[in-house]
Amino acid sequence: MSGKNIVKAELGRRSFLWGGVGVASLALTGCGSSAKSTAGKASSAADVTLPTFVPLAGGAAPDLPATAAGVPAAYYTYPAAPVAAYSAPPLSGGKISAMTPLFTSPPSGHDANPAWQAVEKALGAKVDITMIVGDDYDTKLSTTVAGDSLPDIVVITADPANLPGLLAAKFADLTPLLGGDKAKQYPHLAAIPTAVWEQCTSAGKLYFIPIPRNISAGSGFYRQDMFAAAGVNDCRDIKNADDFLTLLKEITVPGKQYGVAGSSGNGGFSAMPFLHIFGVPNMWRLDGGGNLTAHYETDEYKAAVEFMAKVYKAGCYLPGSQGWTKNQMEDAFQSGKAALIYDGLPGFGVAYQQAKKISPAAAPAPFVPFGHAGGKGVTWKDNIYFARVALKKADPARLADVLKACDFFASPFGTKEHMLLNFGVEGTDYTLDENHNPVLTAQGKNDTLVTFKYLSAPTQAQFYPGQKDLTDLMYKSYTDEIALAVADPTASLYSPTAGKKGTALGKAMSDAVAQIITGQSSLSALDSAVKTWRSNGGDQIRSEYQQALQGGTASTASGTPTK
Amino acid sequence: MATVEIGAGSAGSGSGTVAGSRAGGRIRARRPIWMERPSRLGTGAKALVIAAVFVVVVYPLYVVLATSFSSEADVAKAGGLVAWPAHPTLDAYRTVFNGGIVTRALLVSFGVTLVGTLLSVAATVGMAYGLSRRDLVGGRFILLIALFTMLFNPGIIPNFLTVKQLGLLGTYAALVLPSLVSAFNLVVLRSFFMALPGELYEAARLDGAGDFRILTRVVLPLSKGVIAVVSLFYAVGYWNAFFNAMLYLDDNTKWPLALVLRSFVTQGDAISNGEGIASTQAIQMAVVVVSVVPIVLVYPFLQRYFTKGVLSGAVKG
Repeated sequence: MSGKNIVKAELGRRSFLWGGVGVASLALTGCGSSAKSTAGKASSAADVTLPTFVPLAGGAAPDLPATAAGVPAAYYTYPAAPVAAYSAPPLSGGKISAMTPLFTSPPSGHDANPAWQAVEKALGAKVDITMIVGDDYDTKLSTTVAGDSLPDIVVITADPANLPGLLAAKFADLTPLLGGDKAKQYPHLAAIPTAVWEQCTSAGKLYFIPIPRNISAGSGFYRQDMFAAAGVNDCRDIKNADDFLTLLKEITVPGKQYGVAGSSGNGGFSAMPFLHIFGVPNMWRLDGGGNLTAHYETDEYKAAVEFMAKVYKAGCYLPGSQGWTKNQMEDAFQSGKAALIYDGLPGFGVAYQQAKKISPAAAPAPFVPFGHAGGKGVTWKDNIYFARVALKKADPARLADVLKACDFFASPFGTKEHMLLNFGVEGTDYTLDENHNPVLTAQGKNDTLVTFKYLSAPTQAQFYPGQKDLTDLMYKSYTDEIALAVADPTASLYSPTAGKKGTALGKAMSDAVAQIITGQSSLSALDSAVKTWRSNGGDQIRSEYQQALQGGTASTASGTPTK
Repeated sequence: MATVEIGAGSAGSGSGTVAGSRAGGRIRARRPIWMERPSRLGTGAKALVIAAVFVVVVYPLYVVLATSFSSEADVAKAGGLVAWPAHPTLDAYRTVFNGGIVTRALLVSFGVTLVGTLLSVAATVGMAYGLSRRDLVGGRFILLIALFTMLFNPGIIPNFLTVKQLGLLGTYAALVLPSLVSAFNLVVLRSFFMALPGELYEAARLDGAGDFRILTRVVLPLSKGVIAVVSLFYAVGYWNAFFNAMLYLDDNTKWPLALVLRSFVTQGDAISNGEGIASTQAIQMAVVVVSVVPIVLVYPFLQRYFTKGVLSGAVKG
């Protein structure tokens, strides 16, 4: 239960769709519950002075440049001579404590970890991180809050109930420290784009520092080699939904390979690419009159569900994959048992490398959605940040120190500090290959699992050492997918009802949709499911968001002002 | 034929008057039904059911083992779990033991399990013995308090606050002390002690033995079975416990194996999505094997006490 929270956070952000099917389920819960800050975007510009954006000067020039739209810079090799971001350690003594989720096996302990010790030396302070297995993170967070033993830096996931209340009670308002030109004292934080900072406010104040990601989590992965064998060289060439269905049927050889595989984590049906093909809005659609329509209620959503039911009926879904783990789904994709899956774009590098290892002829590629009736599909801006950190209340001098540490942890790609934080100590944790790319040693693999990257982070660069083709593929995919990306108009709003009921509401929707896709109920069941969703809280969520959009108070339930 | 035998058997049982009856020209002993020689069909059916249960229980364990010895290619080819590793390898185990995290966690788990079990058994035996004496003033009240914990759980946060107030955060004691006595085990032991013949206690008293002497010289030697079982319950509990460690131990080098296992097993699903380094199925299964084997090895040694021990506290007499 608690375990899912962090996932939800992530899912909510990435709209990873818990029910890829019940799609907004999570985003509604995840985002709604808390990942959304109270200050509406509409009002945040006026209410909150966000950090002034100052691009970093003099960094290592990327091979493929970052764009204003948010396409991340890409590097074929690690810059030959990483520059030092600091001439002297930013802190002089003391300790910085933090609490983060852990999504790997535990790292080597502090005393046996030269990378950890070197980071402390470079920072000028001890770094004490409590790392909690991701599934348990929210449980630990609530006990830590209750026990009043919060560390300096706390990763906040999507789920704390009444987030605005929690923030006001325990965490520092960063507006006076980072707002406007104050951010210039922390150049690495100031280099984080404004679009990301916009997601870091609550109740008209700046409360968070983001762990930035690259705008869109994409639209899943496909096997270009399998598509090509069925006559379609590139997913961008598919003309419409009918052709796509024909293609999936063509690919499917029962018992051997299938068009699509799902996993329980993405709702069972890898729905995201289908939603994108049909142009389903990102959680909510905002019309010119300021009215919100949930994506469930749209014709596009209905058409996408109807299409998935056709795909299912045609036998193109890998049987049983609905209950699989993500790893199982990935394995099926990598070994060519499924031609299309939904997983977040950040995970594509691993999938690509594994598939190539299994068969060099394999050609996985990020799926770029076409339009169901010609033209282009959409993607969602659902991966703006991974998580956000809040800082425990303290006096301004102490907070300034903690911010200096955050700035240190946000050292960008191409700096010595970034190298140290990500690859550890040269010789012990990594060696440089002939192209001066760091290669982790066995010890380095354990030493570098310390979660420095969740204490604050720079915008991500694409870097796949020694794999120019993969780097190019990622860059092109981000370029194409970010061009199609639509925003969630409620992304920076908070709805107490969504926080309370979002999970249950979304689950009911995804269950109903699963029944429709698998043919156990007809498409008309969607209408009644939406009706139930509306009366059980959907309408309430809508009105709270709309009030927040208009700058009103949307906090009937929690009593927390939204503005 | 069979019906006659059953009829004869059940009619005879309890009467004890006639030694046998003539049926089909043969004299057969009157025995309870479960002592009759089973028919071939019955034996076959039983064998089949037992085999099926065996497969259902053992096959998943076998697959875990097989997957842990599989190469990456095997896992990918099988699409996850492997039934037959075509290219057996120890890579997964090498990865698991690389860096010393798992080795250290194993030691922690052994230590906590051993010390925790000893303390728990000692405390439970002492408490159960005291509460089994009918002359203990306030015994009933204390027992009710203990039973109360079986029905009502204070919840995570009050537990956490208590441990924090006691200054146990970050110590191994936090893994043992809050769960030192389990009410269930207490009841099992107390019932067993109460079922021992009162004459034994009287005789020992007449010989001048105090309570401690009675407990160690009379009661415990008679309670080996039940204590073995209670110890096993405690040991398995300590071995598998990860939640306490997650709450109370901030330093991941102090983590017991169950929590490390959790980090290995849940990470793949949790997000990885580029955040986690998705561990392959083989590594996850290797950790499962490492954590399961030690506790499984304990079972054969305690097995003979097992049924006897659990039942012994259940029914008086």
